[in-house]
Amino acid sequence: MMKVINIDKQKWAGGVESLSKSYRLFGPMKEDDSHNFKELKKGELPDLAYGNTKLSPKSTVFPPSEAMFTYTLDESKPDHHILQDVKKDYSPRAVLGMRPCDAKAVSLVRMNFDTPEYRDPYWMDAYEATTFVGLACDAPCSTCFCTSTGCGPFNEEGLDVLLVDNGNAYIAKALTEKGEKLLAAAGFADKGDDAAVATKKAAAEAKITAKIETDKLSEKVIMDLYDAPFWADIAFSCINCCTCTYACPTCWCFDIQDENKGNEGVRMRNWDSCMTPLFTMHGSGHNPRDKKPQRVRQRFMHKLKYFVDKYQKGIMCVGCGRCVQQCPVNIDIRTVSKTMNDYVAKC
Amino acid sequence: MKNLMEHMGVEPGRLQFSWISSAESTKFVDVVKQVTASVKELGPNEKFIKKTVKVA
Amino acid sequence: MDAYITKIKAISERLLKDGTVEAVIGFREGTMPMMSEPCFIKSSDDVKDLVWNANCRINLANYLTNRKEKIAIVAKGCDSRNIVNHIIENKIKRDQLFIIGVPCKGMNDKNTGALQDNCGTCTHRNPVIYDELVGDLVVEQTGVDKYADVKKVEAMSTDEKWAFFEDMYSTCTRCYACRNACPLCYCPTCFVDESKPQWVGKATDPIDVRTYHFLRAYHCAGRCTDCGSCEAACPQNIKVRQLTKKLEKDCAELFGWEAGLTLDKRPPLDTFNVDDPNDFIK
Repeated sequence: MMKVINIDKQKWAGGVESLSKSYRLFGPMKEDDSHNFKELKKGELPDLAYGNTKLSPKSTVFPPSEAMFTYTLDESKPDHHILQDVKKDYSPRAVLGMRPCDAKAVSLVRMNFDTPEYRDPYWMDAYEATTFVGLACDAPCSTCFCTSTGCGPFNEEGLDVLLVDNGNAYIAKALTEKGEKLLAAAGFADKGDDAAVATKKAAAEAKITAKIETDKLSEKVIMDLYDAPFWADIAFSCINCCTCTYACPTCWCFDIQDENKGNEGVRMRNWDSCMTPLFTMHGSGHNPRDKKPQRVRQRFMHKLKYFVDKYQKGIMCVGCGRCVQQCPVNIDIRTVSKTMNDYVAKC
Repeated sequence: MKNLMEHMGVEPGRLQFSWISSAESTKFVDVVKQVTASVKELGPNEKFIKKTVKVA
Repeated sequence: MDAYITKIKAISERLLKDGTVEAVIGFREGTMPMMSEPCFIKSSDDVKDLVWNANCRINLANYLTNRKEKIAIVAKGCDSRNIVNHIIENKIKRDQLFIIGVPCKGMNDKNTGALQDNCGTCTHRNPVIYDELVGDLVVEQTGVDKYADVKKVEAMSTDEKWAFFEDMYSTCTRCYACRNACPLCYCPTCFVDESKPQWVGKATDPIDVRTYHFLRAYHCAGRCTDCGSCEAACPQNIKVRQLTKKLEKDCAELFGWEAGLTLDKRPPLDTFNVDDPNDFIK
């Protein structure tokens, strides 16, 4: 049975303080003109008065650069040329105040890192250590289109707790056992009720007018869309930077690099992007995606077609709108999906 | 290059240029002495140097 | 602006219809407020999509690199200077191009809507090279202090300078939008993407980030027109122009050089002149 707790805003700071004793805390912090998720220092409170962060909170479980192993090439040492695990801090951590779209994104990304065959230890260990505390979205941006991606401003998927701003208090819905534990650790115990949530939810959803159209895409076989004539036009303006992929909460690609300093080395993984030619460069020198339209097509086909066909769980996009807002040349996934969808409808 | 390095916060004198012909052995010795002395005065480079890579 | 776009459309339509060019590079309406999208128009039927407004800030010369067809391109002052660079550097041939010159009064900042930083101090608003103009030439700004921010940094101590750039680059994700939006950055393989040897690490390590910005800027020495594409493209709003402007200032002071003004002179960094300053050489 789901618990509903009332958190008086007066008690919020004290609760966060209590949490910081048993959790590493991450939350949105203002820097210059935007917000980003940061690890909170002692005494810091997350700044919950924000639209959405510039970069998604995926970095809390999937850092831009992450050490995997260390090694030594010094042959006088007994363990030379053997990869050593890097000890990481997987003690309990909590992400406070993430948007429901970003939480759904985490559960989509999990499909990639947690499969019957493979379990990515770095992502999964961090994921399992994390309690995700969401903050329902009352004032969506003009670029938000979460309601047409199978998500929404009050969506609960991927969250352990959902906070709903209710004036002087937050209505906290504990959605999982992890969530209940966190609320208890914070000392939030006042019984609440979620009667106000439905109206707020409907009001927030009504504010979202932008949408993504993908309903027809599953009807078409991959090759028809792959060979569609519109890709060159869509791709022309693209400068092939990684802005969209780095800002995207559902992009998970990475590159593994070894870096030595003298005889000591680190094997790490770094965010990578299908936008760059290097991403698909083979050791032979052959590059299956050496042209810009091929790379642009890959990004949209992966999100809107390949992923859909593979998992049957909808598209790999939660409608956060970051790529739309930040693209230097205004390539808009909503327009692209409409072009794809209309193309299917026509033939 | 030198200007830009210094503009970015690398100490003046860390980067030096000279043009020495293979016949100018004394100039070579002088320049090496000067450069060594001035760099020693600056001490070890603590800024534009990468130690172990900073990753999470 | 309205007069400009009417003229841009008319010229484009004529050129496409009479076969002078195979395509027109210009801007079309964006989906976001304060954004326009670069586009490639191949048919006179699509000329209607072209727009011109204060959001056409991306430098279109970037889209010319190594193209083989005959192209018309809409060019404001800075774009035209980068077209000159491209011709000098053999990235496009002059006779492939029909340059539709747009006298410019400045582009708007994508975040604030106010005049973009670099446009405020621009002294080449009129195209320096063109085949046809879409309006009367505008009056060039005089008496502007182009390098106020550079001077501010120059006045800092070494440690302050280091800290200033450390802070500035701290939000960089290495998405390379600045590099990819830059018409000068057309190397087949950028030094950051080389693996044999690997010049710079791939992580978000601050030294690697700084090395990238430093070397990219240096590669633009004597070539940068301060078009501002790099800054306009940066999703993190990093003041990427800080380093390229320092180089621009040095080139002006040391060589009396401004990039992209003429096809008749080689840039200072690829020529030798006995008068070149050489005080830095022991």
